[in-house]
Amino acid sequence: MALVETRPVNRIKQNLWDKSYIPEIVRGLAITTRHFFRNMNPDKSQRSTFTREYPEVPTVYPERYRGLHRLMLRADGQVRCVACMCCSTICPADCIHIEAAEHDDPAIEKYPRVFVIDELRCIVCGLCVEACPCDAIRMDGGVHIPPYTERGAAFFDRDLLMERGGLSLAVQGGESK
Amino acid sequence: MPKVTVNGTEIEVDKGTTILRAAAEAGFEVPHFCYHPALSIPANCRMCLVEVEGAWKLQPACYSQVTDGMVINTKSERVVKAQKAVLEFILVNHPVDCPICDQAGECKLQDYYVAYDSQESRLRAEKVHKVKVFPIGPEVLYDGERCILCTRCVRFCEEITATNELTIVQRGDRAEIRAFPGRELDNKYSVCTADICPVGALTARDFRFKCRVWLLNSTDSVCTGCSNGCNIHLEHFRNEIQRYRPRFNPAVNDYWMCDAGRLTYKEVHTDRLLHPTNNGAELNWHAVCETVADKLKRAIDEVGSDKIALVLSPQASCEDLHLARKFASDVIKTSRFYMGGKRDGDSDDFLIKADKNPNRRGIEAVFGSTTAALPFSQLVDDIEAGTVQVVYMMDQYMPVDAATAARFVERLDKLKLFVFQAQHQGALAQKAHIALPVCSHAESEGTFVNFEGIAQGFERAFAAHGESLPHWQIFMRLAQAMGKPFSYTFIQQIRKEMFAPRPDSVASGTAEGVPVE
Repeated sequence: MALVETRPVNRIKQNLWDKSYIPEIVRGLAITTRHFFRNMNPDKSQRSTFTREYPEVPTVYPERYRGLHRLMLRADGQVRCVACMCCSTICPADCIHIEAAEHDDPAIEKYPRVFVIDELRCIVCGLCVEACPCDAIRMDGGVHIPPYTERGAAFFDRDLLMERGGLSLAVQGGESK
Repeated sequence: MPKVTVNGTEIEVDKGTTILRAAAEAGFEVPHFCYHPALSIPANCRMCLVEVEGAWKLQPACYSQVTDGMVINTKSERVVKAQKAVLEFILVNHPVDCPICDQAGECKLQDYYVAYDSQESRLRAEKVHKVKVFPIGPEVLYDGERCILCTRCVRFCEEITATNELTIVQRGDRAEIRAFPGRELDNKYSVCTADICPVGALTARDFRFKCRVWLLNSTDSVCTGCSNGCNIHLEHFRNEIQRYRPRFNPAVNDYWMCDAGRLTYKEVHTDRLLHPTNNGAELNWHAVCETVADKLKRAIDEVGSDKIALVLSPQASCEDLHLARKFASDVIKTSRFYMGGKRDGDSDDFLIKADKNPNRRGIEAVFGSTTAALPFSQLVDDIEAGTVQVVYMMDQYMPVDAATAARFVERLDKLKLFVFQAQHQGALAQKAHIALPVCSHAESEGTFVNFEGIAQGFERAFAAHGESLPHWQIFMRLAQAMGKPFSYTFIQQIRKEMFAPRPDSVASGTAEGVPVE
């Protein structure tokens, strides 16, 4: 016959008054009531609620929050992107579609004729931003990806992404001038 | 035979072997830009410098021949220092615009920088600016800034095509590749210069900016542009061919292929027939096979098997043709064959052949003789005479002049039944009672026999467009529907039977019994 190891447990003896739970119920109600009156305080800074009044009061995201993409611009307002496909190659969700074309200016040479991001498919990993060799794509606008009622509205094309873009501090082409 | 020691490995090589080759045989890579196995050796890039014991200076491995007892070191400190110095020198005026450059991913400068240099640039002065996006020829663009002046393209035009279009102009850091005044890089093999260019200086206009090379999948295939059957890397991305690149085969095309052949991939993706149709109405394969079987049976009863003609296509693979032959002899019981295919085109004495069909010799090999199929113009006459009342046609090509072709299309109305089995839409597909969609060579596997009788296999690259099927599978389905099924499961079984010597065949070309590559 196998031996079973046992471990004795020290039980706290409860008397009849404890077993009725009346003192614990009263204690719990006291805590709840205290919080209720504290959050009714006319001075809002004294309250202890964490509720955000979204969307009346916008949420402030931390500085490194990754949100909606944007395409940065050159000094003359053209898109910085040179259609190198690094972002679409590294994208684990395969949500970036780029079609490259020949630019009229031989110094620029290549630009994205089509640049579409499927924001619903995007998993907001930020690898596209890290892969970009010319600071053309960013996710730092502090705006999260909005909800959509229509599938087609989630496809953000080049011009829409450029509208949200801005100038970059980096020198295009990386040459110091 | 001289014995040499490369990095401590002793090997015996043929007399006259260069150090670079000997090192490769011993299993050591010597980096090089200007050396190309098919071209002469100028030893101008200095990337392949190696240390030879007893020699004061480092020796260019691509040019120096080995001697008996030579002790070579390709990895010594001096060599590493020289390699770094050469790469730094080449990169002095290189724009390092890899994100824009089409060569990125298959660039030797990029690879060697990572493997042999990987140090930061010490250059602070402005780089020399040269010509960008220069149209050096109708098919090729030149970027002077990226060029490392290895002269591979110049030597290609001198030694392979013997057209001598290119040269180096200017000197020092202003040197550039240019065509001679009044000329341009317009020979029939000009895109090969973009292939052999180790950097992104020469780029093919057709492939430019179309797809990054690291996204491409490569499948070993054969060019269908002419009967030469150049071996190619069929490179595709998302079910679409992006480019053809020559695949080394010393027996057929060496390292090269022609510009016209490179562009033949476009046919695969234009105007494809996607669904089987019966009098213009789309059907599924099961239904359409039943319909064809029904109509063919009725035609056999009404007009007799000998009035049914099968138009063979030299564009189809040997496996397809073998089943076409079997379908005709066993199922329809006709031996009335006509020869389809493309019309003859231009030719030269290098790779381009006048016969624009990849598998004419395949028909000879499968059918046992050159006279198995009657000429296409005969078919038009036979339809007019009424000796042919049912036509089963493989592929839409008609090897006749436009007037005869128009006459053929007109006469199609006279036919009892016209079954059209092809890749492309067009006048014939519209006239057809039954149109059956067929795969291209990129979507099926098979064998082509080139003009010399060399049988060459090609692989399937991607899924078929629409509902198209290879010719041989369609013949299998039809045979099944007509109650005389063929017992094949895999294409290898057809291949085995196809190349086995047949008792009924007349001794035919060298293709008979040639093993598939």
